[in-house]
Amino acid sequence: MKKHSVCLIFAGLLFLLLIPAVAFAGGQKDKGPEKEVELTFPTFWVGQDSKSAPIQTLVDRFNEENAGKIRVVIEPNPDTDGYRSKINSGLAAGVVPDIFVFNPDPTTFGYYESDLLMDFTDDLTGDWAKSFADGYIQASTMNGVVKSIPFEIGVTPIWYNEDLFKKAGINGFPKTFDEFWAAADKLKAAGIVPTSQMTGGANAWTSMLWYSHILASLGGPTVWERPLTDPIYVKAAEILLKLYTDGNTTKDAVGGDAGVAGGHYMAGNTAIFINGPWYIGRIKGDAPAVHAATRLAYAPAVSGGKYGAMIGFQLSNLAAGNTDDPVKRAAVIKFMKFLTDPENVSMISQASGAMFALKYEMGEDVDPLLKQFIEISSQASFSVPHFQSQYRIEVVQELGQAIGAMVLGKATPEEFVQMLIDVNQ
Amino acid sequence: MDHYKSRKWIVVFLLPLVIMFFLFFILPLGFVFIVSLTKWGGFGKMEFVFLDNYRYLFQNGTFRIAIRNNFIWAFSLGFVQITLATVVAMILSRKPLMWKFLRTIYFLPNVISQVAIAMMWIAIYNAEYGALNRLLELAGLSRFATNWLGTIETALPAVILQQVLYIGYFMIIILAGRMTVPDSLYEAADLDGASVLQQELYITIPMLKDILITSMTLAMAFGLRHFESTFLMTAGGPANSTQVMGIMLYNNLHSLTYGRANAIGSILIILGFFVIVLIRRVFGSSSFTTEIRQ
Repeated sequence: MKKHSVCLIFAGLLFLLLIPAVAFAGGQKDKGPEKEVELTFPTFWVGQDSKSAPIQTLVDRFNEENAGKIRVVIEPNPDTDGYRSKINSGLAAGVVPDIFVFNPDPTTFGYYESDLLMDFTDDLTGDWAKSFADGYIQASTMNGVVKSIPFEIGVTPIWYNEDLFKKAGINGFPKTFDEFWAAADKLKAAGIVPTSQMTGGANAWTSMLWYSHILASLGGPTVWERPLTDPIYVKAAEILLKLYTDGNTTKDAVGGDAGVAGGHYMAGNTAIFINGPWYIGRIKGDAPAVHAATRLAYAPAVSGGKYGAMIGFQLSNLAAGNTDDPVKRAAVIKFMKFLTDPENVSMISQASGAMFALKYEMGEDVDPLLKQFIEISSQASFSVPHFQSQYRIEVVQELGQAIGAMVLGKATPEEFVQMLIDVNQ
Repeated sequence: MDHYKSRKWIVVFLLPLVIMFFLFFILPLGFVFIVSLTKWGGFGKMEFVFLDNYRYLFQNGTFRIAIRNNFIWAFSLGFVQITLATVVAMILSRKPLMWKFLRTIYFLPNVISQVAIAMMWIAIYNAEYGALNRLLELAGLSRFATNWLGTIETALPAVILQQVLYIGYFMIIILAGRMTVPDSLYEAADLDGASVLQQELYITIPMLKDILITSMTLAMAFGLRHFESTFLMTAGGPANSTQVMGIMLYNNLHSLTYGRANAIGSILIILGFFVIVLIRRVFGSSSFTTEIRQ
């Protein structure tokens, strides 16, 4: 009898173990309206990210101002690829964070097809809508519905180290590719590697931006209306190939990731680099001398192409999980308005160097490099988004592999483009 | 009656785990197979496309490279890594000087994050500042210096090598098995004039056959579902030369092509089953309970 009781207790314990596992698998329920509304905010704006500190400051301030009513909880996820996977798998499972961020592209705009995202169409009106710079709300609208709020934007001109240019006897950044190759030869003669490149990471970021600049020069403001079969893609690939050969980049560019490309520029090993304003905070902290010597320029024009193009795009949109709870919905809207408030956005911009899709005033102590970003983007002859924003993620993923194949002699520029076409089908 | 009671309790004890196994393994597995027959972006309606995802994958050159690489991984881990682990276990089982310290050192990488290890090897292999190229230069072999992870010919061997060297996990399993082999067998062989090598070949290996087959099966399964170090070190590049199915699956999840991702998952499951059966057939059947008895 005693033996049976012990067995029964053990069996019961096993079932008890099963219950919480199943219960947790089902997800947590929303809290009642009488309680403090807790909003989860998983984000990659943490850790080393230049926006980490200002975002945390704003969230703390919001929580303080709304104590007892709303509490925003940051869930740190410093790995952007991992973050994207988490959001994707969450959406597939029907579990969406209360507030989250995504990089707008043809793949992520697919989120709009679900009814899991909060619809801001009726909220983004009046003064709130007027606080956004022209065109961004429209760019975040699909089929008349706004399911994400434009937030961070990016412009990615060419960065060059003026000190290294002077050392090589070059005055100013070349305006044509013929001048560019001559300048690259001078840099090499002075023992300086001309450019940072990379085929690694999820999108071969630096090289993808070079490719976008070259295509913009060749195709002008309507470049992305041209299909991948257009000859400009092959011509741009030929120039990209030259950027990788003849010592025009570092030996570790093939296979290198953003850390390699940015690291060489910050270490003063390379003279030319491309990235957005969000990188200002990083370079200012890690390589102040290079930060001080950095000047911005438009990419050189391809022979017969256009000069003065800027690659500009929406970098991050804010989104929220849909809810039937009006209190929770109101809390989300309140936080979104707080985060996109021009004064708060100005604070983030000054602290991190990032730029935003809102109309905001910059203080007097603006970082000189950020000032250059604002000037060069406002003076551009035209602005187009980058390659990544025009194609589904699988094409972007293939780009790095295709560049590698071309640089290593396994594909011609024509075959490079064909690799992209194959994946795009 | 007692027999009946004991069967009843077996059912009672097994039921919770069977339910959990069904909920968290069998059910998702069925879901994987069903989704693999659809075109689905993670939300919205699933469109049944039957075998289209499989057809696409087998016609895709990159996927064929990935399958080939997964088999290279499986055989490298199953044969090279297990051989190295066996040799080291045999040496340590003879308790040389500092053998306990060495056993810990060999096992240490298994408790270190794979990310940290991959970062270390990226630094070692780097073409600009890597330790390997520096060593070659110091040895007067600078003509062999290269971009180890950025060259098609060297990238796959470089990634496999760093993984194969971490033998600690299997070395511990084999060493534990070796310690259970009675010393009297070796003493008798010694009296008969058998050399150390002969003792290991004709006593240790036959006695550890089941453990070795199990280790080999596990290592090959790890090779087939390999993902981490390749993803961290090359992301499948350059030019897809180190591509593996795990990375393709991950990329398809990223691009919201869940049907294709699940088709890759299904193929991985089938290949895993095939490899396990193959090993058992080639090396003879092995009972896991035999190992427990040892």
